[in-house]
Amino acid sequence: MEWPIAKAAIDYILSQEDSFPEESVVWDFIGGEPFLEIDLIDKICDYIKLELYRLNHHWFNSYRFSFSTNGINYDHAKVQNFIAKNLSHLSIGITIDGTKEKHDLNRIWKRANSSEPERGSYENVIRNIPLWLSQFPNGATKVTISSDDIPYIAESVLHLFSIGIHEVNINCVFEDVWKDGDDIIFEEQLIGLADAIIDQNLYKTNNCSFFSENIGKPLSPTLDNHNWCGAGKMLAIDAAGNFYPCTRFASYSLREKKPVIIGNLNDGINLNKLRPFLSLDRTTQSSLECIDCEVGSGCAWCQGENYDAAVTPTIYQRSTAICKMHKARVRANNYYWNKLFSKLEAEGEREEYEKHKKTNSQEPC
Amino acid sequence: MLKYLIVQLDDSSVSFCHYNNERKKRNLMPFDILKEAVFWSMKENLTLQFLYPEYEIPQEYKAEIAKTSHANIVPSTCEDEELRYDADVVVFNSLESINCYQLSKKQSYVIRLTLADLIGNALFLRKILPKVDRLNIVITDITSFKVEDEAIYSECLKSLSEGIVDEYKASHSIQVNLLTDRMLLEEMNNCNAGDETITICPDGNFYVCPAFYSDREISFAIGSISNGLDIKNPQLYKISHAPICRICDAYQCRRCIWLNRKTTLEVNTPSREQCVISHLERNASRQLLEKIREIGQFLPDKNIEEIEYLDPFDKLLKR
Repeated sequence: MEWPIAKAAIDYILSQEDSFPEESVVWDFIGGEPFLEIDLIDKICDYIKLELYRLNHHWFNSYRFSFSTNGINYDHAKVQNFIAKNLSHLSIGITIDGTKEKHDLNRIWKRANSSEPERGSYENVIRNIPLWLSQFPNGATKVTISSDDIPYIAESVLHLFSIGIHEVNINCVFEDVWKDGDDIIFEEQLIGLADAIIDQNLYKTNNCSFFSENIGKPLSPTLDNHNWCGAGKMLAIDAAGNFYPCTRFASYSLREKKPVIIGNLNDGINLNKLRPFLSLDRTTQSSLECIDCEVGSGCAWCQGENYDAAVTPTIYQRSTAICKMHKARVRANNYYWNKLFSKLEAEGEREEYEKHKKTNSQEPC
Repeated sequence: MLKYLIVQLDDSSVSFCHYNNERKKRNLMPFDILKEAVFWSMKENLTLQFLYPEYEIPQEYKAEIAKTSHANIVPSTCEDEELRYDADVVVFNSLESINCYQLSKKQSYVIRLTLADLIGNALFLRKILPKVDRLNIVITDITSFKVEDEAIYSECLKSLSEGIVDEYKASHSIQVNLLTDRMLLEEMNNCNAGDETITICPDGNFYVCPAFYSDREISFAIGSISNGLDIKNPQLYKISHAPICRICDAYQCRRCIWLNRKTTLEVNTPSREQCVISHLERNASRQLLEKIREIGQFLPDKNIEEIEYLDPFDKLLKR
């Protein structure tokens, strides 16, 4: 993104105060590695702060700058200066996937030529974790699981706990990548993880989003009818100044479908194109099988993937590629809570646990 | 459940709805496709509606069409005088063409015009009311409706309502879609394209409605006469799967599927403009009902409630 586009985007958003009445705002820098563009981002953030002050905008002092970074440049002077300057308004997550083996499966340096050996980025990231955690002691990481990652889940989550990351947000990808038997291995991994977390008392100080008391229950078609995904309630802007309901609807994120552009810097937001997103509910986009599912709670979806996988260009057809993985997760989750509560009751600690237990944060999109 | 099959006999067949037919070049449906369409509709128990072009179609086509019960929708400027005279529905694409047309209470009439033309010619349209029993007014530029048009359109509807009241005083129960349909309806009565009605076009393919054939930008087929009907995501054409429409009581709204797709990218989601226009009509119907009741007892069990919104989307967001 060039500076004039970034500036115009900020000017547009801040000029539409009535259209964005929310008390606070998160400016999320996403799409590629943000800290590669630290000079631009620093300039953008300075401009936002100045304009919020100049306009006496209601977001002044009520904003956050959010980053998901691969962590490689985290200790660079420019990045550290930026962090020092904005610390009280920053959320930074470093995406480390788990053990070296798991992390280096997907996170590989670009090679100069094909004869060069493949090199993962684990070592470059892990060295920055202590610095990051010293600045963000509650730092969380987000891990995404695809078919090839399943055998590494338990050891990876335990590894992340061991290096001081106490909040691991983890989810299976929504795309249809699953092979026969993946759900069985997935369940085994989660059972193994459950045993380790409980037997080693890790549940007292750590949280893995795979385990939640609220998942795996039937949902009421009327009371539990909200949409899962936040697409349409956020505004995403690409380098050309086009607006999207979420970055998953940009052409670079889609396999099959045309991008869903809901406006641009010159014309503003086309509110008619937002109506389908804001009207969405669970039952209207779900099949009868999903509506009647006895373990439906916690079964997530991505609106962009639904759109990409749908048989017509619609966001109103829920993809069910994740179904067997969710059911496997529910079985392991039931095991986790039954085992944990039995242990707590046997040790007379159940009441104490209930009083102080951490509430799971919302699952990541 | 499907009930109607619209047969667009030629690429240039008249539009009787919101879309402007962008296909101007003649391209008559091949005779074997017409025969298959008629045969198929009989097997599927569908009522046929034929959309005619300006020029006279061949005699063998007329003979084939006559084999089964059907409705003919004909442009007011059709060269086939006999067809025009016997048509069930006659479509006017300009107000000028009405002046030189012999109106009849046997026929229904569709007048397609822009919002500006409608607003500027309410008095002219009132003069037509004594001569017809059924008038459908179709606005062709709904997408350009602005907030500042709301008051002007309401005034226009009020003027038309006064004309309707005069007809009722003269014991003439005229029907004007924008104003009298809502008074008579108990539930949504929309176009229902893709659910109750589909269209077959000269290329032998089925479409949700003729607009999805005419508008090349969003055109897509839903099967063909040779390979059968294949509606993907059919539930999205039903009111049960339209979150805004299913909580709405502007029962007379066309709920145009083509406009939905064009403006919001989803077939089940109407634009704000479509909703607001329909609600101005709904509210005008409510006032019309009260005026007619001043003449004498009329639909005593009907009640159109006063509401505070013009767009049910706003109501949905508050839930």
